[in-house]
Amino acid sequence: MNDRAPHSMSVTSGRRGSVALARVSVNFGQLLVVDDVSLGVAPGEFVSIVGPSGCGKTTLLNFAAGLLPSDVIRGSYLVGGAPPVSGNRDIAYMLARDALCPWRTALENAELGAEIRGVPPPERRQRALELLDKVGLKGFEDAYPKALSQGMRQRVALARTFSLDAPILLMDEPFGALDAQTKLQLEDVLLSLWQREQRTVVFVTHDLSEAVSMSDRVVVMSARPGRVVADVRITLGRPRSVRALQKDPAYHELYSHVWTKLEEGLSP
Amino acid sequence: MTDRTTTWTVPQIWAGRVAILVAFFSLWEQVAARKLIDPILIGRPSGIVTFLWQEIFVTGSLIKDLGWTMLGTILAFLLGSVCGVLVGMVFVTRPTVEALLSPILMALNAMPRIALAPLFLIWFGLGIGSKITIGFSLTFFIVLSSTVAGGRGGNPDHITLARTLGASETQIFRKFILPSAVPVIFNGLRLGLIFALLGVIGGEIIASEHGLGQTLTVLAASFKTSGVFAVILLLALVGVCITWGMTWLENWLLRWR
Ligand SMILES: Nc1ncnc2c1ncn2[C@@H]1O[C@H](COP(=O)(O)OP(=O)(O)O)[C@@H](O)[C@H]1O
Ligand SMILES: [Mg+2]
Repeated sequence: MNDRAPHSMSVTSGRRGSVALARVSVNFGQLLVVDDVSLGVAPGEFVSIVGPSGCGKTTLLNFAAGLLPSDVIRGSYLVGGAPPVSGNRDIAYMLARDALCPWRTALENAELGAEIRGVPPPERRQRALELLDKVGLKGFEDAYPKALSQGMRQRVALARTFSLDAPILLMDEPFGALDAQTKLQLEDVLLSLWQREQRTVVFVTHDLSEAVSMSDRVVVMSARPGRVVADVRITLGRPRSVRALQKDPAYHELYSHVWTKLEEGLSP
Repeated sequence: MTDRTTTWTVPQIWAGRVAILVAFFSLWEQVAARKLIDPILIGRPSGIVTFLWQEIFVTGSLIKDLGWTMLGTILAFLLGSVCGVLVGMVFVTRPTVEALLSPILMALNAMPRIALAPLFLIWFGLGIGSKITIGFSLTFFIVLSSTVAGGRGGNPDHITLARTLGASETQIFRKFILPSAVPVIFNGLRLGLIFALLGVIGGEIIASEHGLGQTLTVLAASFKTSGVFAVILLLALVGVCITWGMTWLENWLLRWR
């Protein structure tokens, strides 16, 4: 690992599980949404992107997932070394809303992704059961979403995301709609899942404390058009507990540092 | 007495209902027996019972006619709803086809169906074919429009999720669009079944060889008013059974709601 520093961008960009953006811009018609963003995420890294609402965070994830038409995008975006395509099996995308199918039980919802990607039934069922257990939903396998709380539904969505064997997880404010307590619980659930498998996570949020407490790096974006204004390494140890961090002075110091950067980005 | 919803138990409620009906039919019977109102106009409950007994258990002709009406209704409903769902799904998945055909179909649907009935009779004869056609022409459009509405009402997040998962068009349709449309389609099916029955009976009333609608016209033409009421009673019973059956099926199919 001693040759990492000088060529790290070019080395990581070709590897499975890496994400590399070079001078990426996105225009929706006249509206410049993302302006010249360059960013590298190494395999296994947990990177958060924070920024004010409308700065193009979701757009960046949609780009990676191959959901944007080619006429709105510019620059080079490599996901696992290849340009974005929709349906890329290296990617699992978790949307802001849970997007559960109300006509499927928790177990069937957790299996959905693997089902669409053609994983054989016994295997995907086994994996879904395991993950429901890990997210704390043992005993709720046969419950329909209407019977689950918002937090439990988001746990099912987590299980659905992790039951895909994709090395890259894209998460778009998955805990944005939850109350503070539930949010802390689910952040710890996410960290425990991630720490077990060390997949790459690109986590979009507008909640700074969430970004700082979970990530290896926090990328701060400016108001629209979104530019990268800071890329802060979070030097807190692993494994972490988000709830325990709430009382850690080092965490609060990093938080206020990132906060300053964010404020700078808001007032150019 | 803080509970203001009801102070009667369930058996008491049922006893009350029966009492009301008994009072109503006794009054009717008395009014007709004493000729306060001419029984030719209002029939007679005892006459209704005699008629039902005679035509169901002795000659069996009412059962036979009920059979014809139900056969027509079920065939009209099946054909109409299958075609309605299929065409609706084509409209949902192929906007060009919809743009092409939708206005034409809407214009067809705007025609008063009962006014077309004589034409269907000329084309398909006095038998069950013309009745099925009338029922079909009602059910089809109802189910079609509910299918289109249901197919449109899906969650856009599902489609985004499906695309990121690499779902094929067929998978998106089978796993997302169709199931999310089922509740709305079901409302159309429920209504479509009632209208199939309405269309068939309407056709039978206009001109027919069999069926409860035909029985109804024959009885009315010969002033057998009790018989008319008996057939109406039977039709009401059929309507209640259909509604019950559909509700049961809906609750079972849509138990996730
Ligand atoms: N498909 C699209 N067509 C046109 N404008 C879009 C589209 N997607 C997003 N936008 C616009 O781009 C801007 C950034 O959106 P988004 O990436 O969702 O921001 P964020 O997730 O940071 O809140 C918003 O102003 C939004 O209205
Ligand atoms: Mg967003």
